[in-house]
Amino acid sequence: MIRVLIVCSWGMSTSLLVDSLLAAAQAAQYELQVEALSAGEYAARVEECDVVLIAPQIRHLRKSIEKLAISVGKPVALIESFHYATMNGQAVLEQILSLLAGVQEGNGNT
Amino acid sequence: MSGSGIIERSAAWFERYVVPPLGAIASNIYLQAIRDAFIIFTLPLILAGSVFLVLANPPIPALATLLAPYENAILVPYDLSFGLMALFLSFGVAYSLAQYRRTEPVQPGILAMVLFLIATVPVSTLENMTLGQLLPYLGGEGLLVGIMVGILSTEVMRFFRGSRFSIRLPKTVPSNVKRAFEALVPAVLSITAVWLLEWFISSHTFLDTTGSKPVVTQYTIPILLMRVFEPLVVAQNSYWAALLEIILMMLLWSVGIHGMNVVMAIALPFWYTTLAANAANPAHATGIVTEPFFHIFTHLGGSGATWPLVIYMLRSRSSQLRTVGKVALGPAIFNINEPVTFGVPMALNPLMMIPFILVPAIIVTVNYLAFSLGLVHVPIVAQPFTVPVGISGFIATGGDIRGSLLQLVNLAISALIYYPFFKAWERILVAREEAAAQQEEKPITVPVAARARVAATEKLAVKKGG
Repeated sequence: MIRVLIVCSWGMSTSLLVDSLLAAAQAAQYELQVEALSAGEYAARVEECDVVLIAPQIRHLRKSIEKLAISVGKPVALIESFHYATMNGQAVLEQILSLLAGVQEGNGNT
Repeated sequence: MSGSGIIERSAAWFERYVVPPLGAIASNIYLQAIRDAFIIFTLPLILAGSVFLVLANPPIPALATLLAPYENAILVPYDLSFGLMALFLSFGVAYSLAQYRRTEPVQPGILAMVLFLIATVPVSTLENMTLGQLLPYLGGEGLLVGIMVGILSTEVMRFFRGSRFSIRLPKTVPSNVKRAFEALVPAVLSITAVWLLEWFISSHTFLDTTGSKPVVTQYTIPILLMRVFEPLVVAQNSYWAALLEIILMMLLWSVGIHGMNVVMAIALPFWYTTLAANAANPAHATGIVTEPFFHIFTHLGGSGATWPLVIYMLRSRSSQLRTVGKVALGPAIFNINEPVTFGVPMALNPLMMIPFILVPAIIVTVNYLAFSLGLVHVPIVAQPFTVPVGISGFIATGGDIRGSLLQLVNLAISALIYYPFFKAWERILVAREEAAAQQEEKPITVPVAARARVAATEKLAVKKGG
């Protein structure tokens, strides 16, 4: 089970991406749990996930979001805006998997 | 090709010099907490209350006469939901701020409500007050106090947590009990401070009955604050304020930052103060610059009034625009347009930025004229911004069909102005797509290069983490 938090502003547009992401995950037989939440809720619940993604419209909060994620050892990345625009769940799933792979590599090296 | 080169260079300039300062304002933790508090804690109350407000003033005349005798009874749920929004906002601000501060959020939330009530009730005359007299200050006219005590509560609690002034208990005490004692010192101190301030203000101001008309000169903290901020509330309800707000919103969106989200954090208390005043007296309402003014009457199909663009895209010669158009159609019905903003894209696209700012600015002007000249009833009802265009204009005005007409006029304005810009951008994209198609045999195509770049930045972020 991969738990994903997507930090956004209203959760309105991101919910569309969540649907597409879940569909892509099901097709690829990954068990995914995705939640879209605001920056405040994210700060309170960052520990409860494996990967943090940032929606492009709150790019200005990227630094503080990344700092917090890194401080608790969670991989974090910004969603490419064209993938977000086209609600491309497949591409975002690949992004999540490569983030997780990156973490495992990192652990192996140290 | 050189034209698109200039566009790319100026986009990079924008990203480098305009995004950081705007982003800094937008990422202010207090502003974020205030906005979250409105959206998560008070919006449901406002929406639920609005249902009863519509019921008490139904748009159908026959129903209105039928329900007229029960108007006061129907308004009770409205008064005790929408009407209490400042009380719950104080909880929400304290709670949201505590989340950002990563401390326990419920205790500061409860303390904020207590502080809010103490700040609102005149200390010397509590026994003589009725709930009806207090109500205005628990709702629309108490929002500023709600925000202030919310911030105060969380910050005081945080300051005392772990400080040497807080009560220490042995390690064997359960953590719940410990938390309650930890909160005791900051709670008593802040309650005392607000209580003394309220006592001072309310006992040094009196009800003046010597003149022909009794003049209320007994102030409480919210009344005093409203007097102080009244010029600001009035100034905010003006054309120039609305224009400034829309331009700021669209400038932020133009660099890909959620403009509504940022501007709202500052403007929402004013928008709802004005809307609450309208709702309290729908027949003689005069407030224009409110939340529906922007969400319902300006951002048709999403921020920037991009509804017509979606229609244009569906039949575009550019495959990128056609793809985006298909994805954007469904969300546009519910006024969500991130696919447009990031897919066309409008953000960081100096060509499309021009109409992206111009169209809403003109629509705001038309709206302001329509409302101030009385051509359309001013907004009195709050509703989710996702209600489709046409229906939402009717609801927002409390059942004025001209509200829907105004939305249609605005859509026509948007369609006209966007068209030439859309065509110019389409030409650039088609040229690019043709150039890319010619190079198809070569191994490295643009999307692959872009993907490699994404993968590289991701690795960087992870490495920083490890």
